[in-house]
Amino acid sequence: MQPTDRRPGTPQTRHGLSVSPHGVPATPSLLKDLRSLRVLLLHPEDNDGDLLRRQLQRIGCQVQAVWPPRPQLPEGVDVVFLAVRPDSIALDYSWACAEGAPPVIAVVTYENPTIVDAVLRVGAKGVVSSPVRSFGLLSSLVLARKIGQEIQAQARRIAKLETKLAGQKRIAEAKTILMQTRGIHEDGAYNLIRDQAMAKRVNMEEIATAIINANEILSFRPAGQEVKR
Amino acid sequence: MAISDPIRVGVLFSQSGPISTIGTSQMQGTLLAIDEINEAGGIDGRPIEPVVYDPRSDPATYARLAERMVSVDGVKVIFGCYMSSSRKAVIPIVEKWNRLLFYPTLYEGFEFSPNVIYTGAAPNQNSVQLARYMTSNFGARVYLVGSDYIYPYESNRIMRELVLQHPDSAKIAECYVPLDATEADFTKIVNDIRDSRPDFIFSTVVGDSTTAFYRAYAEAGLDPRVMPIASLTTSEAEVSQMGRHAAAGHITAAPYFQSIDSPLNLRLLARFRRRFGDHVIPNLCWEAAYLQMHVFADAMARAGSDEIEPLLPQILGTEFDAPQGRIRIEPSNHHTWVYPRLGRVDATGQFTILQESLRPVRPDPYLVNLALGDWAVNLSAEEC
Repeated sequence: MQPTDRRPGTPQTRHGLSVSPHGVPATPSLLKDLRSLRVLLLHPEDNDGDLLRRQLQRIGCQVQAVWPPRPQLPEGVDVVFLAVRPDSIALDYSWACAEGAPPVIAVVTYENPTIVDAVLRVGAKGVVSSPVRSFGLLSSLVLARKIGQEIQAQARRIAKLETKLAGQKRIAEAKTILMQTRGIHEDGAYNLIRDQAMAKRVNMEEIATAIINANEILSFRPAGQEVKR
Repeated sequence: MAISDPIRVGVLFSQSGPISTIGTSQMQGTLLAIDEINEAGGIDGRPIEPVVYDPRSDPATYARLAERMVSVDGVKVIFGCYMSSSRKAVIPIVEKWNRLLFYPTLYEGFEFSPNVIYTGAAPNQNSVQLARYMTSNFGARVYLVGSDYIYPYESNRIMRELVLQHPDSAKIAECYVPLDATEADFTKIVNDIRDSRPDFIFSTVVGDSTTAFYRAYAEAGLDPRVMPIASLTTSEAEVSQMGRHAAAGHITAAPYFQSIDSPLNLRLLARFRRRFGDHVIPNLCWEAAYLQMHVFADAMARAGSDEIEPLLPQILGTEFDAPQGRIRIEPSNHHTWVYPRLGRVDATGQFTILQESLRPVRPDPYLVNLALGDWAVNLSAEEC
């Protein structure tokens, strides 16, 4: 082995994971957050519940333990451990699927279809199986938060893209109206919308919407009569 | 079971292979404590009988021998392991059989098993103190050298994060060598150190290759007064192996040094030499091995059993007057409150204690945000 050939490599770089510009793989922020994490433990006070609470506290999280689950979450929860049990699957878990809900890690005693279905319905981002072991909880915790953050970031991005796409469709429609009613080319129609938007200090999508609305009113025909375009 | 039947305990330290020097010292520390307990009448009249095996520095052998101790020898409590790989190999065995492992070694943290008692230092009890001392006395441009396994990776990550909080800090390099590295493996590294001139070197080289590294450093003519090697694992045992000349001037952070000037420590060292002679060198892991046997014996005397259910509550929260000071087993995480110290090797091969904690420091094995300036405990400044 040629040790110095690796410099300034680290164990991480050897496995091809990302490294900061200084060559130092910093501790991930998801790990650094662990100490300020507010964990809601929705679990009965039994051996598993006790072990979960103690290990989470050992890691340094702030733990609030509640059972049975209430229809609403308390304020300021970063992650939820939820016992998914035969006697509690009928409860209302709509909070778990709400927008911006904290990630849920299911704690399961059974692995039958009923329980697995319930795990899917609460939108779990991780599973811990009973009897719970202290080893593995930290990884589950970090992974569930990572997945939860990624899903939320993607949802935001998709919503933004959908808005953008709808706007583009309206602009295209408005251009068509202008080209037909004014007998101008596509570039001219585009410039007209853009100039109006700049003059009125609104975005192009709004001008396009106004043009579409006006056209619908102006080209109104009684029912059954074909609209001539 | 008759009232005077011996209590069998497992003793699982490597007496051969690359970590045999430390392993043998941990075994002797264990046997010394057993002698003391038996000479004082045993535990309620029952002597402790060690079942000693040599796992030869191999994790799979650790697992196999631990299984044999439990299933064939009827052992309820095992004292053993040095490298993290050996601890990870034994934990599934003690968890499966619901037995107890006492682990007398500093390690990288991020672990809790209900079946383990950890009596060495966690990173918040040695790395933070070492990083602060090195950066404030030598500077914050660090060169990291380690053996190629998990403890050095994680120790180096911790040291990097601590040192790089300092202004004007830099990581000059980070490299890893095989566990059985020889002096030739270190020649290139030492040449690179000479050329790149870091403020200090952080070594997580463990076992017998420690000698090769410090000797290569000395032969290259580098000066520990200007650019010392800082370590968490280079103890009196390694110093004795490499020789005083190669070791002098380098720095180690540990809860225990032979040079602790307390009547209790001096008596213990004298007793150890009478019993075992001079060829085994007391060190931090030897002391942890010694103290944990006494913690067990005291707890068992109160519990009246070596079964884990009655025994564990008697261990957790217990205190013991160890050579390093009065330690305590933290109930919430099974680790130990220890006394961080900083030592520099002197001309006789002993550590001059530069700083020491006046109070034991609480173990925090899951501490992710180690902060250089945030020192929970003030060490005394005997010499700065």
